[in-house]
Amino acid sequence: MNLISKTSPSVGASQARPDALNKVMGHEKFAADYYGPRHLWAGVRRAGIPHGRLISVSTEAAKQVPGVKKILTHKDVNGSNRQGVIQKDQPVLVDDRIRHCGDALALVIAETSQALETALALISFEYEALPGIFTTAEAFQYGAPLIHPTHPGGNCLLSGQLVSGKGLEAFEACDAIVELTIDLPRQEHAYLETECGEAVYEKGELSIVVSTQTPFRDRAETAQAIGISPEKLRIIAPYCGGGFGGKDGITVQSLLGLAAMACPDVPIKMMWSREESFLAGPKRHAASLHYRLGAKQNGVFHALEVRADFDTGPYDHLGGAVLGLALEHAGGPYRIPHAAIQGKAVYTNNTIGGAFRGFGVPQVAAAMEQAVDLMAEKLSLSPLDIRMKNAVQKGDKIPSGTTLKTSTGIRECLARLKAHPLYREADAWKKKAPAHMLRGSGMACALHGMGYGPFVPDTAIAKLELTKQGRFKIYFGVVDMGQGNGVTFLQMAGDLLNQNYENLELVLPDTGLTLPCGSASASRSTYTFGNALIQAVETMKTRLTQRAADSLMVGDGDEFCFIPGHLRHLPTGREFPLAQLAALLGPEERITISRYRALASKETVTQDTALQMHGIPHTVFSYTAHLAHVEIDTLTGGITVCNYTAVTDCGRLINPDLYQQQMQGGIAQGLGYALYEDFITDKGRLLTANLSTYIIPGALDIPPMALSSVDLQENTGPFGMKGVGEICIDPVLPAVANAVADACGGGRCRQWPLTCERMLEILTIPVCPPGADMNRSLI
Amino acid sequence: MPAVILPQTLDELLDLKAQGHTILAGGTDLFVHMRNKKIQPQTLVCLDQLKDKGLREVADTGDEICIGAAVTHSRLIQNPLVQQHFPVLIQALDTLGSPQIRNMGTLGGNIMTASPAGDSLPPLYVLDAQVELAGKNGSRRMSLSRFITGPGATGLNPEEILYRIWIPKQPSYDLHHFEKVGHRKSLSIAILSMAALIGLTGDRKIRAVRLAWGSLGKTIATSPETEKRLMGTPMDDPAGFILAAARIREEVSPISDVRAGADYRRQVAGNLVLRLCQGPLEPLKQGPGAV
Repeated sequence: MNLISKTSPSVGASQARPDALNKVMGHEKFAADYYGPRHLWAGVRRAGIPHGRLISVSTEAAKQVPGVKKILTHKDVNGSNRQGVIQKDQPVLVDDRIRHCGDALALVIAETSQALETALALISFEYEALPGIFTTAEAFQYGAPLIHPTHPGGNCLLSGQLVSGKGLEAFEACDAIVELTIDLPRQEHAYLETECGEAVYEKGELSIVVSTQTPFRDRAETAQAIGISPEKLRIIAPYCGGGFGGKDGITVQSLLGLAAMACPDVPIKMMWSREESFLAGPKRHAASLHYRLGAKQNGVFHALEVRADFDTGPYDHLGGAVLGLALEHAGGPYRIPHAAIQGKAVYTNNTIGGAFRGFGVPQVAAAMEQAVDLMAEKLSLSPLDIRMKNAVQKGDKIPSGTTLKTSTGIRECLARLKAHPLYREADAWKKKAPAHMLRGSGMACALHGMGYGPFVPDTAIAKLELTKQGRFKIYFGVVDMGQGNGVTFLQMAGDLLNQNYENLELVLPDTGLTLPCGSASASRSTYTFGNALIQAVETMKTRLTQRAADSLMVGDGDEFCFIPGHLRHLPTGREFPLAQLAALLGPEERITISRYRALASKETVTQDTALQMHGIPHTVFSYTAHLAHVEIDTLTGGITVCNYTAVTDCGRLINPDLYQQQMQGGIAQGLGYALYEDFITDKGRLLTANLSTYIIPGALDIPPMALSSVDLQENTGPFGMKGVGEICIDPVLPAVANAVADACGGGRCRQWPLTCERMLEILTIPVCPPGADMNRSLI
Repeated sequence: MPAVILPQTLDELLDLKAQGHTILAGGTDLFVHMRNKKIQPQTLVCLDQLKDKGLREVADTGDEICIGAAVTHSRLIQNPLVQQHFPVLIQALDTLGSPQIRNMGTLGGNIMTASPAGDSLPPLYVLDAQVELAGKNGSRRMSLSRFITGPGATGLNPEEILYRIWIPKQPSYDLHHFEKVGHRKSLSIAILSMAALIGLTGDRKIRAVRLAWGSLGKTIATSPETEKRLMGTPMDDPAGFILAAARIREEVSPISDVRAGADYRRQVAGNLVLRLCQGPLEPLKQGPGAV
């Protein structure tokens, strides 16, 4: 082991991650690293056409390839052949209709990857082409084909609206109104580890090691899709090589299960290439947003109108839930008494829209925070002052109608930002712009609700074991995809039990060993499981000290204190080794189990049960205020983000280092969304099909970041914490947008990302005079 | 997987080349093409054990610097001769790929890929570089600009290898400048690039100038007319630069692809000329499109 093993975990201290060394040395086994001594390869023939009725699949030629073991089509699927988190509308292997280029038609199992590749290329299929839908507008045109003919909403997966106060009528009482329309692109997760796994079917039991965020949900979903009973299916989830929402749902699981059941007793491996990951994996939803914000002369917001359309691609995936979160967060962390917020998640024949860090909030924040800056300029207020004037406090409602009843720290974030040197010295910095350069400074805020909302139980079940050796084992079922929740659980339990890392052990999510904990998503992993874990630890502590008291025939448990490896009896100073205590206990007694369900809101924000089911409203929110400094090269349109700062209210920090890592990663990913990542398609086909043309930022593109926390206590959170995994990305794009507008006299981008080409176009278009109602220089 | 052959001498290498085998230098382009199945060689000829120094050394021959085709970008960047005589080449190589790619990739490889976006090419064009092609029957030299005939196409005969690159020293140029426009600061294929050499009179007027653009046409673009418009222009007087920028925009017909549109490339081809001006351009007010 390493130096960290002797460290005593301490909540609130910046501590090196105990999993870091193993990962850096390449010892940690990710799903991609599982290779049996002898294994088969599975792969999929994908449609490559965006929309069509499947007539037949021809596999004869492929079957002749030496080394090919089996080729399966939908006819070989004994289950429902349908997967999906909410609506089960996605086939494992297409049986009737191809709905996007990434749909799977046939599954090949072969001895070598070369044989697999050869066979896949030989599979052909007959189809009747159908006209495709590639924009949300096309989906509603007269005569548009229905992507799911039996879906009651036609091509609309889900629509909803939230109206508060007088709704649109309130605009009549506004002194100033600003308006903004933007179109946001898809975004690719681009994790290091593409979708992959290894499965084996032995003695009627199927076991799948998979890179996933959702092992327990995978078990249920895969079992019904491929026709195996869930108790015969085990999902093992090692550390995940990046998820960001892209592995919140089925990727390879059902395909691997089918392959393993067709070729029993041999491990079967599937690993998507980068191109396949781009084509078949879910993306952040492309969105079109139209915003109107009204205020009184003094800068107090009065009315908000939002229209938000999300391109959810051909399947639900989590499109409805993304829409729900977007609607709830559409008005940002501001008091606006009158609002009419409406939106749609729309089926198209593009790539699948699904979960991605932020989950709809980056889209609405992109528009809202730019509208706030437009209003500030119109009323000659500073962007910070207008935000402070309207920022919510505990007890306020956000525009969607949700009451904020837990810690609400946006005002503290703004106050801290105002005092930051990057804010105070922005004007001086801007004046020093070199030749051909324009400099600007811009801010944006966000709030982000945690957990699943009122309908889907947000639960986690923690299991803690005192081993016979006197060490503690934490069984957790909520995946660590790199964010560090696993080691945070060690830190929490280690602090409460006063044990060094060497006395602590993690059992990673595994439906055979750990207990259901829900998904690693929704900024909930540490919050929900942490609360469950604390209860399990407290129960364990009480039990152990009481049993120690009994066996030593002393007063009661409260006479003991935990020290590394021992219990100390305080009145006598005697030390009782935990291993010795463990020997006195039966296996059942050495285990504690605790379930926690996060608070579900009792508030009626909407009567629409579909919206409630899709997560409205939330109860606990994190808050953040970001500031970006940008420099624009007027000769090329190139934008450099020179400095970045963010102040966040995510409760108390458990490990400040991990907080920094989450924030840095989220901001970097947000800068990719704002400036670099253009997911270009042509009629459903990918033109930026891999990382050579789909540009994610590199280390040199990421600015220095000053990241702080206001450190407010969240009383419902374990050790006072709230989630930070998503809020970090929410306001990045609008902070950059506002900085760019500040630099170039108000120019704003309509179609994102803001590439150098679009920036140069903005610079060449004359800017409207200040105070015009429309956002200016839209291109 | 292709077999790998490791020749020890130049003769062995030339034999293998004459037999039609594929040469692996740094592999930074070759492996990408192999992964994409653009080429599927049965064998690869790896240069790692070659005893011949000519492919790997940088030598001062008096009026010229001679660079072995297998010298990596990293070694060129660190080489004092290259630093002293060809800053424009160093500037360009600094933007090529990433440290890992610069450590593996070679100058010869960048030339043989013959991409219009090859980062080393605009500098080599303005520096009047010549290539030395070696074959079983001896070697020949030709100018790089004649050698490269199109995207991915060169005048190399099948039995030849690109052996060395010869670059004349440049006493008559005072300023070396390279700029690359990419989508990010590293690992970026040029949307556009420009290399410039400028010689100045005592009162800072342009008396000699060479310009070359990458990613603007099928091969590296040059424009004697644009250069002519700059002759005699004071370095701090925008007028000549604006005229020159207009000229290159008129001359070229760039492509549109997923990286950028033709209009952007045309506009910026001129704007990069404006960057050379050391006077007050006031670009925003004047507008990059004002010309």
